[in-house]
Amino acid sequence: MMIDFTATMLQQGRIVIPFPSYSENVSIWHQISDALHVSIYRVLSLLIAVLPGILAFFVALAIFAVIGKVISVVLRWLLKAFDFDARMARGGEWTSSSSPTALVARITFWLFVLLGLLIGVSAFDTSYAVGTALSFSLLPYLTHGVGAILILIVGTLIARFLARSVLIGAVNAQLQYARFLSLGVKWLVLVLTAAMALEHLEIGGAIVDLAFSILFGGIVLTLSLAVGLGSRDLVSRSLESQLDRGERGVPPAAPPQPPPAETIRHF
Amino acid sequence: MATADSISELSSSSPPPTADLLVLVTAMLPEQFEALLTNLAAVFPMEGLLIASESPLPAHVPEKLRVIAAPPANAGWSLTAPDFMNAYELGQESQARAVLMLGPGAESLGAGGLRLLANAVLAGGVDLAVPRYSLPPHAGMINSAVLYPLTRALFATRARFPLAPDLGLSIRMAQRLATLGQHALPLDQGEPLLWPVAEAAVAGFTIDEFDVGPRSLPQPIGGDINSILARVTGSLFADIEAKAAYWQRARRTPPARRGLHEEPLKDGAADVPRMVEAFKFAYSNLLEIWSLVLPPHSLLGLKRLSAMSVSEFRMPDTLWARIVYDFLVAYRQRTINRGHLLGALIPLYLGWVAGHINLTASGVSAESHIEALAAAFEAEKPYVVARWRWPDRFNA
Repeated sequence: MMIDFTATMLQQGRIVIPFPSYSENVSIWHQISDALHVSIYRVLSLLIAVLPGILAFFVALAIFAVIGKVISVVLRWLLKAFDFDARMARGGEWTSSSSPTALVARITFWLFVLLGLLIGVSAFDTSYAVGTALSFSLLPYLTHGVGAILILIVGTLIARFLARSVLIGAVNAQLQYARFLSLGVKWLVLVLTAAMALEHLEIGGAIVDLAFSILFGGIVLTLSLAVGLGSRDLVSRSLESQLDRGERGVPPAAPPQPPPAETIRHF
Repeated sequence: MATADSISELSSSSPPPTADLLVLVTAMLPEQFEALLTNLAAVFPMEGLLIASESPLPAHVPEKLRVIAAPPANAGWSLTAPDFMNAYELGQESQARAVLMLGPGAESLGAGGLRLLANAVLAGGVDLAVPRYSLPPHAGMINSAVLYPLTRALFATRARFPLAPDLGLSIRMAQRLATLGQHALPLDQGEPLLWPVAEAAVAGFTIDEFDVGPRSLPQPIGGDINSILARVTGSLFADIEAKAAYWQRARRTPPARRGLHEEPLKDGAADVPRMVEAFKFAYSNLLEIWSLVLPPHSLLGLKRLSAMSVSEFRMPDTLWARIVYDFLVAYRQRTINRGHLLGALIPLYLGWVAGHINLTASGVSAESHIEALAAAFEAEKPYVVARWRWPDRFNA
């Protein structure tokens, strides 16, 4: 019955097929153009929806930067008036290249910039969620991202510090594999840092753990083999002398003759 | 001779007796202390002399010699801040006009040397009497390579041993060093070294140097060259940094008043090949770190050195002076971690020592080479002043 009714209506020309239609009369270019129009409309709508959020982000950042600058200038002036630098110098050795006053003022300024950044991101977050009608929050991802970057920076600094410490110590101890040891320590810390950063970003999951374990274990094994093979003669000599002593059952032999007296005295 | 009992009775009395000269002796073995007391009794009149020491009293000490117990200080190889604080405190309590500080191994000092140091400060004309020891050519190498030339160039004083373990101090000099020690003590986890010569120069006090003959210098116990060189050089660099306003002004070093003399070279071989090897090994590994501190010209000089054979290995005085100055600037600028910086200086220092020994083996007097090195440090002073003010200008 429904089919008959439709056929009748079509014959009478009362039904209009809604757009977009796939009838043979409409060209493929027309359809592409329509699809583009729809997507542009959607993107523009989203941009218009989040634009207040973007503006709010920059306004918050600018306002807090200005406030931070004003407060840091006032703080600098007050600290100078109270002779803060001289007091710090009297209290202990100030070893930083910046003066205490400059450091306090700079820290204050950047704290305000950070506060502005947080408030701006929060405002952007709200407008984005309204625009997309999704319960979406950017802030946790951003904080995770910042955390991961901080982990990378600190890890790189520690890796460089330890690598230099090991290199200088090993060179002064005349260890032939000094550079190799230093590189090993550096890459150990860098691999650990990368794994921590990825873990923090929740990327990779178990793959990161597995890859880290393999890499870390590989580096440690390589270092152990290198050091072990490098000091093979030393270890074998030590073991041989201990075995000799055990077999003979005699007290250790007399200490070796001291080298000829050196005339150098460093102190 | 009196027995130890009579001395201990004397030393246990509560108010310290008054004296013109207070002699503060650091901790030493009883037999060494006994020998030193005998020397002191032979040189100074008993009535004006008071001796303070934390050492246990020996079995026999010269009669009428007044000995009191000093508060415990360090038992190290050099005088440190607590020693200077004790010296001033005891000197003030005993109303002494001057203080003679004697470090470990002072029993090897001759009576004449003791008299010279004490009389200089007792007479009132000198605030700081510094000894000049007659040492074997290859003794006190850190002093010869860094401490003496740097102190002479920057503070315009010819004190050959800026970190001498024996000193004569006027009471105002003792007070100044005690005050400095009080400030320095909380900042240093160990026992901070003080630099009396630089302090006296900054204060405008009179410094004089006296030939005291041979002495056995105390050696650091348990500390290897790496840690001790870093400690001594780091302390001197920090002191120079604190006194930058003083030494940046041009000053003329007083002319030398004494001829060069040194003990003859004793038997024994210095391990020059090992030191040269250490330098070359460091050159192939630490170049990256050195290039953060040293300008290209100095790096080129090091490259030439690394290609030299052991027998012809010599570090030019100007190159060494610039290296020390560059490390001083990097210490101030914190170009790299200070521990790393001073660690990276050690192979360079060994290179200088190897060159110095080669030079003396070729017939050049060690003292004349050290004097030439100090002159090179003086000539290069404008370089360090320029780099201190404009650290990025490498080819000043």
